[in-house]
This record gives sequence, structure tokens and C-alpha cells, in this order.
Amino acid sequence: MSVFSEYKQEIMDAAHNDRVRLALSRAILSYRANVNEALKRFPHTIEMAKEVREIKKRSISEMEKLAAQACESIEYNKGKAYIAKTVKDCLDIVDKLVGSSKLIVKSKSMTSEEIDLRDHLERQGNEVYETDLGEFIIQKLHSRPMHILSPAVHVPKEDVAKLFSEITGEKIPADIATLVGTARKLLREKFILAEVGISGSNVVAADTGTLFVIENEGNARLATGLPPIHIAIVGMEKLVPTLHDAYKVAEVTWRYANYTVPGYVSLISSPSKTGDIEKVTTYGAHGPKELHVIFLDAGRTQLAKNPILSQAMYCLRCGGCLYECPVFALTAGHFGDKYFTANGAVWAATLSGNPEKAAAVAYTCLTCRRCKVRCPVEIDGPAMTVEVRRLVTEGKQTEAGS
Amino acid sequence: MDNKGLIPPGLGYLAENIRTRDNILGASKEEGAKWAKNLGLPKQSETVFFAGCGYQFSSKLEAAMGLIRKMDKTPIGTDVAIGLAGFQRKLGMESLMFRVIGGGDTEEGEPLKAAIKVLNRLGINPGYLAEEEPCCGGLLHYVGAEKEYTQRARQVISKLTSRGIKNIISIVPSCTYSLKNTFEKLEMESSIKVDHFCEVVARNINSLHLHFPRSVKVTYHDPCQLVRYLGLVDEPRQILHSITGIEFVEPQWTKGQWATCCGGGGGFEAVFPEMSEMLAVNRTKELLETGARIIVTHCPGCIMQLETGLKALKAENIKVLDLAQIVATSLEDK
Repeated sequence: MSVFSEYKQEIMDAAHNDRVRLALSRAILSYRANVNEALKRFPHTIEMAKEVREIKKRSISEMEKLAAQACESIEYNKGKAYIAKTVKDCLDIVDKLVGSSKLIVKSKSMTSEEIDLRDHLERQGNEVYETDLGEFIIQKLHSRPMHILSPAVHVPKEDVAKLFSEITGEKIPADIATLVGTARKLLREKFILAEVGISGSNVVAADTGTLFVIENEGNARLATGLPPIHIAIVGMEKLVPTLHDAYKVAEVTWRYANYTVPGYVSLISSPSKTGDIEKVTTYGAHGPKELHVIFLDAGRTQLAKNPILSQAMYCLRCGGCLYECPVFALTAGHFGDKYFTANGAVWAATLSGNPEKAAAVAYTCLTCRRCKVRCPVEIDGPAMTVEVRRLVTEGKQTEAGS
Repeated sequence: MDNKGLIPPGLGYLAENIRTRDNILGASKEEGAKWAKNLGLPKQSETVFFAGCGYQFSSKLEAAMGLIRKMDKTPIGTDVAIGLAGFQRKLGMESLMFRVIGGGDTEEGEPLKAAIKVLNRLGINPGYLAEEEPCCGGLLHYVGAEKEYTQRARQVISKLTSRGIKNIISIVPSCTYSLKNTFEKLEMESSIKVDHFCEVVARNINSLHLHFPRSVKVTYHDPCQLVRYLGLVDEPRQILHSITGIEFVEPQWTKGQWATCCGGGGGFEAVFPEMSEMLAVNRTKELLETGARIIVTHCPGCIMQLETGLKALKAENIKVLDLAQIVATSLEDK
């Protein structure tokens, strides 16, 4: 079977799955109500989003410079910083830091999904726990995320109860509070015993070297705060010039991710330290003794050269567009490749080096443009999918910059 | 090295029709021009009406899509079948598709006739190029054949310019966007002014007295290209609001720039025929929730999709009408 037929089969199976549709139709209604409420309460966000579009546009054009600056800032703060040109380079750096037979806790990160980090670490003989509830469910189901913010958006509570009952050997009822409590209990000791914590970051300020981590559950605080080593893997497109810019990006991100304000925003700039005894700075107080930040290129600097596709890197990963995509409402993340909908097509075309898959995803776009109406930074999804169609049919998928 | 094999067969088939027969359906151009036979539209005029493939071949489009959807649900699937149709044509045989679209021209061009009636009432008697109207080639852009699209656009522009055309009143949303967008992009001198039909009507709305013959609830479905590409949000609503006798109702969220696509965008229906039908059903449901008895829209693709949706939902006594049709029906006799 051709790549296209296989893909078509997969998304049509999803489209025929009533549970996927039910879960998504609930999610869409709730997203729209919440985001409207959040924007009504904080109407300045709409203007701020325009500013953020300009910040992202400028930042993408000087990504390499910002990465070098951020590395310098992080090292100045006594962290370690790296630029990984390829996925392999990135995994090599991680391997050197982690080794094997380690207990690792992870917070949710699309960048780590992009490089299949969990699988890789497990293959190296490590025990890895996803600690975001949705991601934990996905890990235990041996599935893959179906939405960038709500990875288990397609799994109804009854299915989660069944899964948790299998894991614990007890009969867990399909009651959401009980399910959340079960995950808390299962993961609590893992946080404490973990030797390494791994996270991504929503936005990074190059001038101070500060990583922003936005979350609601509190798992990212624990995963980045409790273990002795914290490794952050961050796509280079997350860099912006200043702390002030980063704050704006963060606020627009969470607002369009349908939150008035998220439960927690961690700002991480250095390893844990104290100067409380004789003003002598000593590293590794209550938090991690080591902070390692890896900036991942993996095609991003090349992608930045294509005037249409570079928009993909403005993406704040708020997930709003997905709720407005009519095809996504039927198929969830099956319409994509690592990333979803139009962004999925771009990443498939430029990063995965799989033209068949890139074409299949690109031709799944209705080109209806409602994603652009939703997008806080006005990414033109259809313009990108049509450009991917042009590149792959002209046999230029590997030359995103052409 | 190009990689044309990656173009889904459904889209490849439509693109090939544009190349070989200068229209999306691969039908004859004379067939497409039939609707205007008794209207006495001049061929030579500074202002011409651009009818577009979708409306000119609407019944053929429906027949072809009906067949494609049936095939898509069978184990053969459309990809093989459409590929076969193209292959048959290469052999010079009447293809299965062609036989299907040869039939069924019962109500051809109703929205087009209505549009002309409305324009006439506004004192505009546009020309019509009939079988010489070129296909805008917009679909080639969506297929990914950008070079070919640009090349065709140049030919279309020079053809239109050489006939001394100054104004175009276009009615298919995607053709309109294509003509406007392409003209701008290629920066041709003495560029032709392109208006969408609903812009012309909205501009002159005060000179029309519109009354729908019976009292009825009406909703409106925004075509993607009209609302999010051409930005025509207010014009259709202004027109509908001006018609007495109708109660205008809309979905709470999915209206205007938030309208949900009918599932027929950018040739999608030819790539994922079955999913396209599911999307049509979803959109039709949203519109039916308003309690409307008439769904007005303004795009041949949307009309087809919404009719498919109504049929699948077994919704009775609900009609889909083009905006041009409801305006023409509401023209009060002078």
C-alpha cells in the first residue's frame, strides 16, 4: 500500500470513530467558551498578539544570533548550553548527560515528541515517566499525542479508568477526580526518586537566558525542580530577544490556549543556588545542581529561509487553530506528522524528509483558512500547505529554503 | 526531478481537465455556455460577467461527485478509479466520468440566470464570453502546480485585456479571488477591475426593492473564499437584511469569518470524497440548528455540499438557494 493510501486509511478510521468525534466536539465547545471568556476579561491580549507576531517574525530572522546570545547568558548563569544542529546531535548530548539505568521524569514537550526522546531514552535502558496527565495516559496507552496541549483529547474518561485499573490492579471508577488522584499517587514517588528531569520551554529570553514553562498541573515545577539534573530541550524558534518580549509571548500563548491565567509559570535561568552561608554562592540547594539547555536546530535555520513556510515557527503552540479545523474535528492528530494540520505538513516536508507523508498531510488541508482567523500571530495555514504541495510535487521538499 | 506522482489522483484528474479542456469538469465549453442561450448577452463589452466552471457545470459537478463518493466507499476506492478514468481518456475512450457528466443538465445555470436578471434590474447588461470564457486555473495553485498556474494566469489576463475588457463581474468566489489575486500578483498594466457579484448588488441595494413572496426563516452560509479570502462579510448580510418577508437567522458562533467550511474547499472533495461528505453533514447540522427553512449561500461548491448534507440528514422541506436566486426571486415587479 502506498504511503498515501495508508495515511488515508488511518485518518478515515479516525473519522469513523465516534469516540474521537464525541471527545473532540466537547473539547471544541469548551475551548471556544473559555477562550472567549479569557479574551473578554483581558481584552488587551488582542493588541498584544499583534506585537507578538512582530517579535516572533524578527526573532525567527535572527534565530542563530539569538541562540548564541542565549547560550552565553545561560553559561554566565552557571548553566550549560548547547546548540544541536541535528536530532542525532541532540540525542548524543542527552546520552552523555543521562547515560543509562536512570529514573527520569518528563514534563510535556512537543519538541521531545519531535525527536522521539522518550523512546530513545528507554532504548538506552532508562525508566521514563511522562508526568503531564494527558501525556501519561498516552504513554501508558502506547499511543501518540493527538493535540499539542491536550495530548489525550481523544480519550474519554471511561477508557482512562480502564487503563488505570490495569496499571494499579485495582478497580478505578470512571470519575475524573478519582482518576486525577490516581495519577498523583502513581507519580509522586517518581518525582522524588528521579535522577533527571526533562522539560521543554514555551519561550526563551536570549538576554537573560530565562526559560518560561507554562503549566497548570504543577508537574513541570516538580520535574524541573526536584531532580538533581534538569535538561531542557528547546526548539530554536522559541528564542526571543528580551525577558520583556518573552513575557508578552507567554501571556498571549496562555490566553489563546484558553486560560485567563495558568496555574503556574516557571522562569528558570540557572541551576539552584544559595549564598546564605558567608555569601559564598554554592550550586545545588533545593533544586537541581545542574541545568543543561539544548537548543535544537534540526532544519529550523533552513526553514527560516522560506518566506512562506517560516511562518510555521511563529507558532506559540496554543492549539487554538486545531479546534477550528473542520478536518481535525473528525480526525484529531491523525491529520499531521509530529505536529498537526498545516504545521504538521511543514514539519513533515522539511524535518522528516518524507515527501510522501508531507504530500499526504498537505493535501488533507481544506484551505478554508479558519485557522488563520483563530491564530494570535496570523499564521496562514493554507498558504503553507499549498507551498508544501508545490515543493513536494516539484521534488524540492528537502530545499525548504529554495 | 519533479514528483507529480505525489498529487492525489482526484486532484490530478481535475487539473488535467483544465489543461486539456479548459474547464475543471472536462465537459465541452458549449455545454457550459448553454444557460445564457436566450439571454441575449453580447460577447463584446467593456463589462463582462465571468460565470466560472462551478456554476456553468453545476449539475455535471454534482453527478461526478455523486459517483466519486460512491466509489470512495467501495473497496476499490476513488484513487484507483479516478486514475483509471484518466488512463481511459489517454486511450481516447469515453471515460466513465465523462459519460456520467454528459448527463443531467436539468436545472443548469439557475444561479447564473438569476444573477443576470438582478444585474439587468440594476441597469447593467454585461457581456458574456460564453464558450470563450477561459478557466481561471485557480485549482492549479491548490494542486501545487504554481508555475503552470502563473503561466495560465498570464494567458487569461492577455486574453481578457485583448478583448478590451475593463470590468469583470465575477460570481464564483474562488474564480473571483483567483482573478483579483493573480492580477495583482502579476502587476499587469491597465489592470482590469474585478468585482464580485454581491459587491455590485450591495453597492446598489437602495435602488432595489426586495420582497420575498412568502414569509420564511433564512440562514446564510459563508463560502470560505468569499468570506476569508475576499473578506466579503457584510455584503451578503446587507442584501439579506434588505429583503422584506424573510427572517434572517444565523448560527451563534460559526458565522462570518468563523463559518465552518462545507467540506468542499480547494478540491478536497476529490481527494477525500467520503470525509468531504461527513464535513458537509456537520456544516448542514450547524445551519439547521438555526431553524431556517432556506439556506442561502453563494458558491457552486457550497450549494452542492449543503444539498448533499440535507440529503444525508433526510432533512425535508429545506432548500439551498444561491444568494443571486433569492435576490432575483425577491425583485418586485416594476
